[in-house]
Amino acid sequence: MHFDSSTLIPVLPEIFILTMVCLIMIIDLFLDESQRQTTYLLTQISLAVTIFITLLVSSPETQVVFDGSYIRDPMSDGLKVFICIISMVAFVYSKEYLLKHDQFRGDFFVLGLFAILGMMVMVSSASFLSIYLGLELLSLSLYAMVAFDRDSKTGSEAAMKYFMLGAIASGMLLYGISMIYGATGHIGFSEVASAVATSGTDNTVLVFGLVFLVIGLAFKLGAVPFHMWMPDVYHGAPTPVAMFIGSAPKLAAFALAIRMLVDGLEGLHADWQGMLIILAVLSMALGNVVAIAQTNIKRMLAYSTISHVGFIMLGILAGTNEGYISSMFYAITYGIMAVCSFGIIIAFSRKGFEADQLDDYKGLHERSPWFALMMLFVMFSMAGVPPTVGFFAKLFVLDAVISVGLTNIALIAVFFSIIGVFYYIRIIKLMYFDKPVDDTPFEASIDTKVVLSVNGTSLLILGLFPASLLSICTAAFG
Amino acid sequence: MIALSDFLILSAILFSLSIAGIFINRKNIIILLMCVELMLLAVNINFIAFSHFLGDTVGQVFVFFILTVAAAEAAIGLAILIVVFRNRRTIDVEELNTLNG
Amino acid sequence: MTFELFLFYVFSAALLYAATMVITQRNSVHSALFLVLAFCCAAGVWLLAEAEFLAIVLILVYVGAVMVLFLFVVMMLDVDQASDRAGYMKYAPVGVLIAVVLAIELMLVVGPGNFGLDKFASPIPHAADYSNTKELGRVLYTVYMYPFELAAVILLVAIIAAIGLTLRKRPQTRYQDPAKQVQVKAADRVRIVKMATEKKWS
Repeated sequence: MHFDSSTLIPVLPEIFILTMVCLIMIIDLFLDESQRQTTYLLTQISLAVTIFITLLVSSPETQVVFDGSYIRDPMSDGLKVFICIISMVAFVYSKEYLLKHDQFRGDFFVLGLFAILGMMVMVSSASFLSIYLGLELLSLSLYAMVAFDRDSKTGSEAAMKYFMLGAIASGMLLYGISMIYGATGHIGFSEVASAVATSGTDNTVLVFGLVFLVIGLAFKLGAVPFHMWMPDVYHGAPTPVAMFIGSAPKLAAFALAIRMLVDGLEGLHADWQGMLIILAVLSMALGNVVAIAQTNIKRMLAYSTISHVGFIMLGILAGTNEGYISSMFYAITYGIMAVCSFGIIIAFSRKGFEADQLDDYKGLHERSPWFALMMLFVMFSMAGVPPTVGFFAKLFVLDAVISVGLTNIALIAVFFSIIGVFYYIRIIKLMYFDKPVDDTPFEASIDTKVVLSVNGTSLLILGLFPASLLSICTAAFG
Repeated sequence: MIALSDFLILSAILFSLSIAGIFINRKNIIILLMCVELMLLAVNINFIAFSHFLGDTVGQVFVFFILTVAAAEAAIGLAILIVVFRNRRTIDVEELNTLNG
Repeated sequence: MTFELFLFYVFSAALLYAATMVITQRNSVHSALFLVLAFCCAAGVWLLAEAEFLAIVLILVYVGAVMVLFLFVVMMLDVDQASDRAGYMKYAPVGVLIAVVLAIELMLVVGPGNFGLDKFASPIPHAADYSNTKELGRVLYTVYMYPFELAAVILLVAIIAAIGLTLRKRPQTRYQDPAKQVQVKAADRVRIVKMATEKKWS
């Protein structure tokens, strides 16, 4: 068997990040507490270089290497770049939190980099085997990160719940994959797709496998009724970990759905569309309604995530390129919004004070008008108020859903979004119209302030000029 | 002759037992972890049976990787369990109620 | 009934019995030991499906390493087994109901209708000199090289996570540091002091 080293070129981003994480891990061992910043800097540099390499090896055509295990296409390039950018922003905020709370340890960044590697593997996998391994690499790193604060009772409890439900979800997913393997005899997505095309769509075994696959997927995405872990993990995990779980992995979950359902099983679209409709409608309904009752902002954001996941699935279930484009746009937008919202929570926290109660945001405008404005952008964007980018994300998804004739579903989505506006507006009311209960001056390092400002205003700028982001998504499904 | 359906029915019963175990054992996380192991065992039997009857090795390769991941998963699961036990002195699921989602 | 079918039924019955005991035992140690039995029976079933390498790996890795780890943790945590079991039966009816429904549905799909001997003929057994291990190894290091590397990374993450989560240095505990012990010089430990000789008392 002949090995051609040029086949390694598309895999360079993954190879680079793996090399760097191993190096960082060893370097971190030899650093004193006072030099711990080096680990952080190396992490950020590796991510920046990874983005550069990803852009370097990107091209409009699709490349499949490693005997059909790995695929590089415009979608994977776009998602990888955004996963790295969002994670870099998340790490800036994480550093702020970890320094404030005296928890600055190297293993946070090492596990984070492994999780990013797992996401990148998921995004460019071309077979059920590699997507499963990427998913596990991501999940195992995240389980450990949730328990990062070893002395926190809530943290370890959240980690245990996350682990148990994640492990059960993996079992479900694998059972589904085994059925699909049995029905088609293949595990590569393109082979499965052609086998499905020839065998016809009324194959009970395939549909049965699909049911388990969708259940596993719904667990990982956090869709109702498989969402139980989300509020607990967001609440219990240290804020930077909740931020990390809530942002970039959603892009990877989007890729997981696209790779398995569209690349592999598009022939069964009629079957999975029905399942996703149920999951999407339930997620939007429960997410938006239960979020109103929350007094903890992290729990509120968890339920808000559930409702956003409903929207992401809405785009996928349309089953058209337009739908996938809108869904990808939504997922990227969501990642940027989520990381910004947690960034503000972190910026307002200090040692012994997590700033995770809604009442902590009373009178934020008087304490820090600029960051209250950033929070305003995030909340408007999440609620879908024009001209922020969140409005366009919702608009594109609804447009795609209506164009395939699912007008009722679109109406339901609009209805629950309007309910959702209530709890976003409530935070704005707290910030602008209530008196502050706490006059401690606002302290954050300069890099956090700068990144947070860029992050917040980007929501407005992308809303005014959505074409650039949209063109990246359109290229992915050209 | 052993039919493919025999293997698959065995795996289906095992899978259902593991699901029942997850519902029954709300008191003990270690047994919950064992139920997950049983679930993966059921999946593995499926893959091996399909691989045998379809006459290709892909299924066995998949099982090889599932075993690897399951070992890693067990290690992390038990590590988290130890952290929980150190913090709370119990592994009873029902007493893990600081977070009620 | 051929001898193979008889063996299959024996292994299957033992496997299902062991699995039932795993989920119903109240003592974690008993559960773990029944899980060992379940793995051994599953290995027997896998041998009947000509997956010799994996059957042996299941015994060596699972029974030999993972289950020992389980037992080790069970013993180390010393969980109070006699703690009240009042809530034990609360979820049992639900669990059993779901399991029965699920099992019936699964069996309808994977039963002889779809996967009987008439649909999938029993494959011709491999010749005696066929090596399952060689066959797996051949594809594992060529076609599945990428997943193989990923599996290595996953194991690395497991090591880091397990150590990161459980290793803690207690300030009151004293540790040996071999590096320091080796680097010790005589001058650090013994100081020879020159003193004028003193007269003995006489």
